Amino acid sequence: MKRVRLGGLRLLQSAALLVTAVCSSAAHADWYNDGKVLLTGGVFTVDGAGGGGAVPWATISGYETRDGINGSAAFTYVNLPALQVSFYGVNVGFYDRLELSYVTARLSLNLSNVDLVGLLTQSLNLGDSLGINAWNNTLQMDTYGAKLRLFGDAVYTSDSWIPQVSLGGLYKNNMSKDLVHTLGANKNKDYEVYLAATKVLFPISTLVNYTARYTSANEDGLVGFGECSGNGNCTNKRKIRSEVSIAHLVAKNTAIGGEWQQHGDNLDGKSLNLNGLDTQGLASLLQNLGLGGLSNSLTQKKEGDWFDLFMAYAPNKHISFVVAYLMFGNISVAPDQNGFYFSTHLTF
Amino acid sequence: MTIRKSTLSLCAALLALCSASGAIAGETKTKPIMGIPASSVAAFGGVDGIHNWVESLFYYIMLDNRINYIFKEFGNVDRQIALNTQLEHMVLGGPNEYQGASMSAAHADLGITMTKFNAVVEAAYNACERNNIPYYNCNDLIAALAPFTRVIVTR
Ligand code: HEM
Repeated sequence: MKRVRLGGLRLLQSAALLVTAVCSSAAHADWYNDGKVLLTGGVFTVDGAGGGGAVPWATISGYETRDGINGSAAFTYVNLPALQVSFYGVNVGFYDRLELSYVTARLSLNLSNVDLVGLLTQSLNLGDSLGINAWNNTLQMDTYGAKLRLFGDAVYTSDSWIPQVSLGGLYKNNMSKDLVHTLGANKNKDYEVYLAATKVLFPISTLVNYTARYTSANEDGLVGFGECSGNGNCTNKRKIRSEVSIAHLVAKNTAIGGEWQQHGDNLDGKSLNLNGLDTQGLASLLQNLGLGGLSNSLTQKKEGDWFDLFMAYAPNKHISFVVAYLMFGNISVAPDQNGFYFSTHLTF
Repeated sequence: MTIRKSTLSLCAALLALCSASGAIAGETKTKPIMGIPASSVAAFGGVDGIHNWVESLFYYIMLDNRINYIFKEFGNVDRQIALNTQLEHMVLGGPNEYQGASMSAAHADLGITMTKFNAVVEAAYNACERNNIPYYNCNDLIAALAPFTRVIVTR
């Protein structure tokens, strides 16, 4: 009996020891690391990768150095006249070498003309596979990413022009297949590959980044990939597009800057694709209803490149905030989309 | 430990010899790609200002539990303040009067990680703030010291 109790006690003791060991290792685990200098890991892009707001950088996200692992979570809210998007994401940086990321985007459209088409097609029973809901058009897209640092050092080799260079891949799954097809895209899932080069130029307190992205995305994939013309001809031509970020550090915890992201022209001039018959087919119907102007306003404008101006503030290594002014040009049928961006990045 | 102490005294003896026979520098200037402006030494407040900055640097280093024990065990703060003043003066564009060991020799056995190096970088920024050295001028010094990671960080 005594032996058993002793054994039980021992078991308890070792269990307690194990718990404290696990707990303390969770607090000061060997692999945990937050040794990077403030802001040098970048913030959280809408693709989940570490970088600026839209442009992934060659830096590995999180505050880990080559000595350990660091994770982060982020929330980003984009408000444009025609749409609002919320991004929820996480990423993990391993030994300042590899980064894995996941982000999910929820986009709500408030385009009265598209809503009206939804209302019409629903009430006229033209079909319910357009992905258009009369009152509530939402898109969801999940993005999985990985980034590998190839060579160079963005921060420490200030005696060399060689930048830090990383290769990244993104897999995007847009769940709103029907709506994406209605908007004229070919695919709702696709991958993108990018090569990013980043360098901090200390004497001018400025980080510069260039990224080349191999993609066929429409609006970052939020409107799918590639295009289908009215006669059912679909293509998914990936091209290399350029992206640039410049971030000027005004203090060790504050950066201001701007970005440019080149976009494609897959959907330029296309009208909404309503079950094979495009909006032109609907035009006579609309005309009869006295809504002749609507078919024009359902033709998609030339997709604009994305520009933004941002300010990032990191009071400490656990949280940073980014506010930005976005100039996204035309998005689908909505012209001149300028708006605001707010993002917070939590680092553990 | 004893070995290190003796190397230190050996170093000190050598140093005395060297300085007696005229300066032989153990370290050379770094050459940042964008250069260090000629006004840098003045921006730091001349040699006295640089000395004050190094004092602040060691004040913050010795407050930081992630690294202070290394300096307590292997360092000699007074000597390091003197030598760092010479070194920082040199990399900011002053004359090469550095009399200490090369960065690789001084740090080779310390097993310094990137994380520990960055702790010193944080102390450097704190020292700039404490001494009212503008952030932009501070970055000139950071640019000049950053390449030393190659030899100082051995893990
Ligand atoms: C760019 C950054 C650094 C610079 C410019 C620098 C500079 C110096 C200088 C000038 C010396 C004196 C060499 C001599 O005694 O002849 C020294 C020694 C020393 N440094 Fe550093 N150091 C740097 C980074 C570090 C870091 C990150 C650590 C530790 C975390 C460190 C720890 C030491 C120690 C312990 C010594 C004394 C070594 C000995 O006397 O044997 N240093 N350093």
